[in-house]
Amino acid sequence: MSSETKQILTTDGIPLEISLRKAERKNKIKAFLLVSPLLLFLLITYIFPIGEMFTRSIDDKMITNMLPKTFKSMETWDGKELPPEEVFASFLSDFKILVDKKEHGKLAQRLNKEKNGFSSTVKKLFRQVKRNKIDESKNIKEQIMKVHKRWRDVEYWRAIKRTAPPYTSAKYLKAIDMYLNEDNKITQVSEDRRIHRILWLRTVEVAFFVTVFCFLMGYPIAHLLATLPMKYSNLLMICVLLPFWTSLLVRTASWMILLQQQGVVNDFFVMIGLVADDNRPEMMYNKVGTYVAMTQILLPFMVLPLYSVMKTISPSLMRAGKSLGGTPFVAFWKVYFPLTIPGIGAGCLLVFILAIGYYITPALVGGSSGTLISNRIAYHMKTTLDWSFASAMGLMLLGGVLVIYWLYNKLVGVDNIKLG
Amino acid sequence: MKKLSKLLLALSFALSITSSAFAVTVASWGGAYTESQRLGYGDPTAKKLGVEINWVDYSGGLSEIKAQKEAGAITWDIIDVYAKDIINGCDEGIFVEFDFDKDFPAAPDGTPASEDFFAPMPSDCAVGNILYSWNYAFDTRAFDGKEPKTIKDFFNTKKFPGKRALYTGAMTNLEIALAGDGVYMGKGGSEIYKLLETEAGINRAMDKIKELCNDENGGCVFWSAGAQPPEFLVAQEVVMATGWNGRFFNAEITEGAPIKQVWDGQGLDYEYFGLVAGGPDEANAKKALAEMTSTEGLAGSAKYIAYAPYRISSLEIIEANEPWFKDGKTEMMPQMPTAPANTKKYFLVNGEFWAENDAELSEKWEAMKAGL
Repeated sequence: MSSETKQILTTDGIPLEISLRKAERKNKIKAFLLVSPLLLFLLITYIFPIGEMFTRSIDDKMITNMLPKTFKSMETWDGKELPPEEVFASFLSDFKILVDKKEHGKLAQRLNKEKNGFSSTVKKLFRQVKRNKIDESKNIKEQIMKVHKRWRDVEYWRAIKRTAPPYTSAKYLKAIDMYLNEDNKITQVSEDRRIHRILWLRTVEVAFFVTVFCFLMGYPIAHLLATLPMKYSNLLMICVLLPFWTSLLVRTASWMILLQQQGVVNDFFVMIGLVADDNRPEMMYNKVGTYVAMTQILLPFMVLPLYSVMKTISPSLMRAGKSLGGTPFVAFWKVYFPLTIPGIGAGCLLVFILAIGYYITPALVGGSSGTLISNRIAYHMKTTLDWSFASAMGLMLLGGVLVIYWLYNKLVGVDNIKLG
Repeated sequence: MKKLSKLLLALSFALSITSSAFAVTVASWGGAYTESQRLGYGDPTAKKLGVEINWVDYSGGLSEIKAQKEAGAITWDIIDVYAKDIINGCDEGIFVEFDFDKDFPAAPDGTPASEDFFAPMPSDCAVGNILYSWNYAFDTRAFDGKEPKTIKDFFNTKKFPGKRALYTGAMTNLEIALAGDGVYMGKGGSEIYKLLETEAGINRAMDKIKELCNDENGGCVFWSAGAQPPEFLVAQEVVMATGWNGRFFNAEITEGAPIKQVWDGQGLDYEYFGLVAGGPDEANAKKALAEMTSTEGLAGSAKYIAYAPYRISSLEIIEANEPWFKDGKTEMMPQMPTAPANTKKYFLVNGEFWAENDAELSEKWEAMKAGL
């Protein structure tokens, strides 16, 4: 007897399977409608901006459309020496159209982002063009080269050629101190300008150590919170949460007052004779300052997930471990610690991800080592208006976080994260 | 009851429309500075023209207005900006280009506006507001009566040992490094910028800073917020600090801190107003802007803060009415960055140079800092 031959029918003659599916579909739609505000919200505030960031970071169509003839005539130019007359002529004709449309400023801006020094060079050409100083019946190359010495520099023409493709990975390369040279080879930028790789490493280093310090300090605190009687643990909890209720800048400034060379902590050290007055240790405006301030600011994010996990661990488990013959350490290591791993994972991920995006605190307390990659993102957002470069770096930061998440998933398992 | 609430709603809606139609919104830096602008020329202009002027705070840069523009919802009419921002913003089409002498009133003696301003505008979209100074100050307790007097002394760690506080970015640091290295500054620092156009000049400036920071008798602390330099000096964290003269003035005069300013080799920098193209009330904003940057308008703000009015004719008003400061006893002329005694040796911070070169120079600067 197979199910195909003998279907079960409902009272109105429709097969049960279909009628069940119908009812379920209704429920599914209902459920979907209930979550749709959230989905829409995520789509608008999260997925869409990230997509927008991505297009912005690779989209270079604006200049491709601005200089169509120039790029066409540049196709045959090998980039070794100054381009031929033909390229100069088509550049001039493109440029004149831009001047008519009053878009030469935008071109200057865009080219200046590719290579600094273009801004004034283009503006000088603009003034000559506006006064009709360039005679198109004569040799255009020589006339343009006379306008500004940079028009005689092949580097600048190579920079123009680099902007030709409508889509580009240049910003991503730039973020790791590389660029595509005239032979289409990925090359390093000159040594005195290699800064981004240093900053990426520094950012990861700071975030890593801050996470470690938060863990080392947060674990015992969370344990104490979870095991103390309510009366005391509440008070302790307030101490942990207090920083949450204070402004970030206030906390940072307090650390400056405490830790600077003439600060409270150093004064105390001198008073008790720990250090000589003229040999006070530097604890501020260097990496020490960054670690101390950031650890304190991010500590609650470590303590809270740990606490919520530890609270659920029954004290009888440790007792059982000890009564079965384990030393307190073995009992802790074999029984208690593994049970807290979900909390450790959540806390560490939280602290690390927050730390990797910090920049105001390190800038204020970190001295010459206080610049992190986020500072550069903010700098390009606000000062140079190179939003595509800022987007590229932002996405790389996001990518880094996703990699860490993936690694964590491989090593520990994401279902092991517990926030409460 | 229902009718009444409907009526109220309609009324408040109508009110909100009218009030927004006749209000000009100015974005500026906030704090004591915006206060000086509001009291000095904002409120008088609002009264005279019958236009409401709203002041909103922002933290500099063009990202916000660019975002407003891209979203098609511009809410600011006028922005208080740096030279490099007005240059970049003008190129990007964010600001309105002026017909300067037509759009802005002449001085009381008839000098046209374009000649009454201390320096020519860096861009057709700019109208000058104030001049401030990147000078340095020292802790008067630090050197037993000896006083640093020149920009060279700032780099002289033998005679004046102790740590220095420097601005966290490259701007102005490269200029004072060259001046401190004995480079002839030229008129308004033109020779310095000529040298900075060359690779050798940039390296020379960076090396000078590096030498100061690695010096056992010296050392550097970098500041990023304007309030930090006077604080560092008062807390004896450093012996000398570069900073903005308005902040030093405030610490020295208003709070009585033991610090003293040195004007030798100072960098004169400017603030400008830009009129946003397609702002919510462009016509009124233009009128208000002309009024605010008039001779009396600009003189007004110096009553509340130690920044120099951009117009030369405003200084005459201050001089004739000393003591001009709001406390009624401090003479403002000696505190003005443009006062003759303070401009014996100075450079004009070249906004065009920084707008063009900041991106690459800042990479070099950060790389230098990373190697300290």
